Amino acid sequence: MIELKAVTRRFGEAVAVDNIDLTIETGEVCVLVGSSGCGKSTTLRMINRLLPRTSGEILVDGEDINKADPEALRLNMGYAIQSTGLFPHWTVARNIGVVPTLLKWPVQKRDERVTELLALLGLDPETDARKYPHQLSGGQAQRVGVARALAGDPNILLMDEPFGALDAITRENLQQEMLRIQRQLNKTTVFVTHDIDEALKLASRIAVMDQGRIIQHDTPEAILRRPASAFVENLIGKGDRGLKLLALRTVSDLMERHPEPRYSEPGSDSLNESDSLRIALSMMLWTNTERLAVLDATGAEVGIINREQLLKVGA
Amino acid sequence: MSSSTGLPNRVIPVLALAAFVSVWLLNLGVVQPNRIVAGTGYGLFGATGWLGAGIVSSLLCVVVVLAAKPIRNRFWVLALLLTAALMSLPLLLEVFALRKLPADSAYARIGIGAGFWCLAFFLALMLLETLSQLKASRRLQLSVVLLVAAGWWLCAAREGLSSLSLIREYANRADQFSQALTVHLSLSIGAVAISAVLAFGLALAMVRRERLRRPLLGLVSFMQTIPSLALFGLLIAPLGALSAAFPALQALGIRGIGWAPALLALIAYSLLPMVRNTYVALMEVPEPVVDAGRGMGMSERQVFLQVKLPLALPVIMEGVRITTIQAIGLTAVAALIGAGGFGTFIFQGLGQAAMDLVLLGALPTVFLALAADAILSALKFQETPS
Repeated sequence: MIELKAVTRRFGEAVAVDNIDLTIETGEVCVLVGSSGCGKSTTLRMINRLLPRTSGEILVDGEDINKADPEALRLNMGYAIQSTGLFPHWTVARNIGVVPTLLKWPVQKRDERVTELLALLGLDPETDARKYPHQLSGGQAQRVGVARALAGDPNILLMDEPFGALDAITRENLQQEMLRIQRQLNKTTVFVTHDIDEALKLASRIAVMDQGRIIQHDTPEAILRRPASAFVENLIGKGDRGLKLLALRTVSDLMERHPEPRYSEPGSDSLNESDSLRIALSMMLWTNTERLAVLDATGAEVGIINREQLLKVGA
Repeated sequence: MSSSTGLPNRVIPVLALAAFVSVWLLNLGVVQPNRIVAGTGYGLFGATGWLGAGIVSSLLCVVVVLAAKPIRNRFWVLALLLTAALMSLPLLLEVFALRKLPADSAYARIGIGAGFWCLAFFLALMLLETLSQLKASRRLQLSVVLLVAAGWWLCAAREGLSSLSLIREYANRADQFSQALTVHLSLSIGAVAISAVLAFGLALAMVRRERLRRPLLGLVSFMQTIPSLALFGLLIAPLGALSAAFPALQALGIRGIGWAPALLALIAYSLLPMVRNTYVALMEVPEPVVDAGRGMGMSERQVFLQVKLPLALPVIMEGVRITTIQAIGLTAVAALIGAGGFGTFIFQGLGQAAMDLVLLGALPTVFLALAADAILSALKFQETPS
């Protein structure tokens, strides 16, 4: 658990972070969202003490971080940034192994960990491990950046706009990977982004920041349903709020489940269990149907979803 | 082999033509009755007769044909041919000596003419072009250079060239020559090593304290602007006074003239390129990389040794390379204040109007600078494949 109590950070006269309180529970993904200069990166960098705070208290599992040795503190916090910050003179494997090396793990344990992480992030442990950062695509480099952040098996993960510089498709893929990895590992994560859709997709709770203050700190659904101010309302976009709400939930939450999986006719229009309700609605509009079959990963029909139920949820 | 090797090459024929014209128009060599008196010049034909002129002219024709015609493996043939030609080039002088040197005069000697230098220069350029067409590896380039050097060395050691003026000057001063080599090398390498250590410290101070940057860079730039002769001269008085005041310094050989002021001046000149490169190299390490290193949990020391320094090293070494070449050249001037080195021969030769003595000092200086350049460029300080 990370607790920020009345934390302020000034740069000279300017106040970057203004007296914020924020509690991040163990295992949750807290996304700090806001426009540039709102203090979200500053907040993140105060948590691993890359920036000292001006006043207030930051506690990790009840301990004030200023009491710990800064290097030891950071070794237990994975850190991934937008420009990856990969060491250009080291191979991918050595980059990923940097924290295990700093932690003085035995060589064999470190190498196994590197191989494991390459596989986890969808990279080839054979060929990619020996490459240098400049030989990677943007998406691959960012995967290596995330793998490096996870390498020391830290309890906490700090991510500063890690997918900000990627194209839309690569970003979407990496967000999916993030969700999958987070389901597996359950790291306490602080994630900074300016992209509200990314925030809604990844967060267990979102902290909306503006001018160094936290305007609202709540679940994605609550932020969409009850925006605390006109600023938040603008940020989430009034117009397609309903669709964004639908995007938060999957088809499997809402479908009528068959008692037994059924054989489905190949080629007919259908949805996957993991699709969002937003996709379900779009599909119904496109095919102009009231009901759609839902398939599981094996292709068997496990349930059915109808339009009326769907429209009720969005309200 | 790349596709471009099938096309006619334009560079080599032009160079061959230039070589042909200059070797026929200019004097290949000079016969001097003694070391001071200007001698009689001989062209290619006059110096080496039908045989020599024929071999040189036909070699150049073959080179032009090979460069122009799309023959298989022609650049390999060209490389072989040109290397062999360069290696055996001094034999032309030997033939010249055999034919034209009066047998009865003990002081008569032959000098190298402009035609010979031009021929050597254009042959070297053609060889360079051939090697670049072959995309020759560093190792092949180095072996070619060593082969040519070995060829010249063997020729110089032969009896037939003992009447060459340059070799006479060397033979008269063999001991002084090796001493000059030692002094020249220790002065320039010592100055570079000391200034590298100093510059590293200064650059670190500038990185740590931004406000030191302007005064320090200003100071080292200012030292660079003092003309070298003036700086050598300016150091004579203070060092002379110091030496007179402290006999211990005098015992160490520190005096107003000699190696001490030379070393000081060389260090002063070496500081600017060294400090600037080291500072720029350290400042240009990308900020996100340093930030990531700290964020990963590296200590400041680890960030410096594992991230900043390895990334800065190629640029720092570039500074060392430039400084070394500059110091080797400047050391020649330091001979004026009695520091020794190859400059001694240059200034003696100028004083006696003996151009071959000047060459005896100038050629090894140039050779040392080229060798330093080659060695320091060959060292790869980058872990990344570029």
